[in-house]
Amino acid sequence: MENTAKHITRKDVERVYFTNKESQDITRPSLTYWQDVRRRFMKNKLAILGSVIIVLMVLFAVFGYALTTQNYYSQDLTMTNIPPRLEAYRMDEDTLLYVNSEYSLYTLDGSGKLKERVEAEDENKMMREKVYDVGGKKVVLNYSGAAKAAKARKDGDMKLANSVENFTLKIDGKTPEMEKVWNKTYRLGTDYLGRDMLARLVYGARISLLVALIATFAQFCIGVLYGGIAGYLGGRVDNIMMRIVDIVSTVPLTLYVVLLMVVMGPGIKTIIIALGSVYWVDMARQVRGQVLNIKQQEFVLAARTIGASGKRIMLKHLIPNAMSTIIVTLTMNIPSAIFTESFLSFIGLGISAPAASWGTLASDALGGLRSYPYQLLLPSLCICLTVLGFNFLGDGLRDALDPKLRK
Amino acid sequence: MAKYILKRCVSIIVTLFLVCTITFIMMKAVPGGPFTTERNLPQNVLEALEKKYHLDDPVWKQYVDYVKGAATFDFGPSFKKDGVMVSDMIAQSFPVSAKLGLVALAIVIILGIPFGIIAALKQNKFPDYLTTVFATLGIAIPTFVLGTLILYVFGSKLGWIPTHGLDSWKSYIGPSISLAGFSLAYVLRLTRSSMLGVCGQDYIRTARAKGLPERKVIFKHALKNALIPVVTYIGPMTAGIMTGSFVTEKIFAIPGMGKFYVEAINNRDYTVIMGTTMFYAAIAAIMILAVDIAYAFLDPRIKFQD
Repeated sequence: MENTAKHITRKDVERVYFTNKESQDITRPSLTYWQDVRRRFMKNKLAILGSVIIVLMVLFAVFGYALTTQNYYSQDLTMTNIPPRLEAYRMDEDTLLYVNSEYSLYTLDGSGKLKERVEAEDENKMMREKVYDVGGKKVVLNYSGAAKAAKARKDGDMKLANSVENFTLKIDGKTPEMEKVWNKTYRLGTDYLGRDMLARLVYGARISLLVALIATFAQFCIGVLYGGIAGYLGGRVDNIMMRIVDIVSTVPLTLYVVLLMVVMGPGIKTIIIALGSVYWVDMARQVRGQVLNIKQQEFVLAARTIGASGKRIMLKHLIPNAMSTIIVTLTMNIPSAIFTESFLSFIGLGISAPAASWGTLASDALGGLRSYPYQLLLPSLCICLTVLGFNFLGDGLRDALDPKLRK
Repeated sequence: MAKYILKRCVSIIVTLFLVCTITFIMMKAVPGGPFTTERNLPQNVLEALEKKYHLDDPVWKQYVDYVKGAATFDFGPSFKKDGVMVSDMIAQSFPVSAKLGLVALAIVIILGIPFGIIAALKQNKFPDYLTTVFATLGIAIPTFVLGTLILYVFGSKLGWIPTHGLDSWKSYIGPSISLAGFSLAYVLRLTRSSMLGVCGQDYIRTARAKGLPERKVIFKHALKNALIPVVTYIGPMTAGIMTGSFVTEKIFAIPGMGKFYVEAINNRDYTVIMGTTMFYAAIAAIMILAVDIAYAFLDPRIKFQD
């Protein structure tokens, strides 16, 4: 939309000659609407990325347990809050030592598999020193630095606080080299009850995708039909049906869901009912608008003249023609359903223990946030990635399905 | 115009009445009563309690009382906190939440609209990419994740902002940004796309062709139309900020309504839950009404409808 006009002279222009036949040729193969949509969709890199993310999440939810030997519910109170990446100290070829943030000593084998928590032989609380016997070697753990650092932090001397080592480890009087190894037993660490994070994330992925499925189902079964009927019948029926939708949508959906959850008690069944019973409103509106538009067109009149029943017109003519709007609204509403579920779980209304959703995982991580940020970051990352995936997919579909963009 | 506003007002009163009925039915539908969940109370204590809370009245009378109470902003006493009235609780905690919500709202409007416009005007240039990336990430991050991350990074790690309470202006930064985050990203996107849509229209080309200065074209001709979808979003946005406050106030330990609400949910304090829900619904409804009226002023086409 630049306002600069260049003066064009005859030299700038060249005449192009067409034979009559050439100008009549069809240069591009003609595509059907859906072929065209697919072509446009495949060209959109972000949309492809979104689909890939969603496919990966589905695979993670279905086959994720293959990545871990643990399950999502069994607790091991000796293995609490162990991060995925460990700062370990090598003792010999196949023994590594790891000290957790509560100054307990763990042994690992050479590759990073956790063996066990070692019980201290002797503990000197005054000197803040623990003595262990690991495979015949004397290991001394001195954790007096932590108190010094805490004091420095309290006094506001951050420089000193950061320079003090929290603990020192000596194996037979020698200071071992620190090396970082990946946790091979719990690949993504454990939570505050010693449950495997990876297994819990897989379970959370199942919940989130289930929620996505429910939202889709409710929108499709209730929303499309409701909106379709309101739009098709029109008149007074439409008026009443749409007033109901207006009333439902004046109150934030989350409030309904919270109320339902409070009354029915937390649990997966309640989430299904609560989300299913509110997540159709938006779809009903969109479909009604489309149907009002489409039913004015001649082909509907034609169908009616040859005696097609209302049901047939609705299912064979109106809804297929509103499909692009339906698909876009569908994908656009899934993220909000996923958000609502994780939000409910976060405030303690969603999935109850030992089952886990990404929201409960994030909520559980709050207490130990300072020391174990990975417990918050992992489920948060999962939520963000999934929602991002659905958003990209939705944007891509909207662009691809919009006939105005057809070239 | 007056008829339009009147119609909207009536529909909102009907809505609130229905919400009131639904909350009442739900309160009655809770299995057992409010007092059966804990230890088995002796029969006479139970009767005394039911008498105290008027639960021995016939259901229709309880309903009438409840509707009357709700209309006069009286939701009865809390079942779990002895001697505390729900409306007092709301009256105490609402100003705290409202202040925070208004700061968040201001952030959304002050940052969201101008940057959305800039992104649209500099389409496919650096500012546009920057805002697009920000907006895309913003709508993918749930409020509770944003809140905890801000708390963790700026509160615990760097120590720049207080980790709890609302005592100084500094303590508003964390909660208000996490409250605003999602809506800000959404408004950015909305403003940008609507501005782009308007700028592509013929009447803008006409305005430019007439030789109007660019400033006038943007502010006088394009902006007014581009803002219509943004204004429509402000209603749902208040709802978003409200539900966002449940988690934000939990995370930052702010004694606002959201925190009480979540506490009441965890304690199964039914009168508080129902009363607060009613209150939230009323605020949402009033905001939507306000937006509808603003909309009618912005978009003259509304005036000519019935």
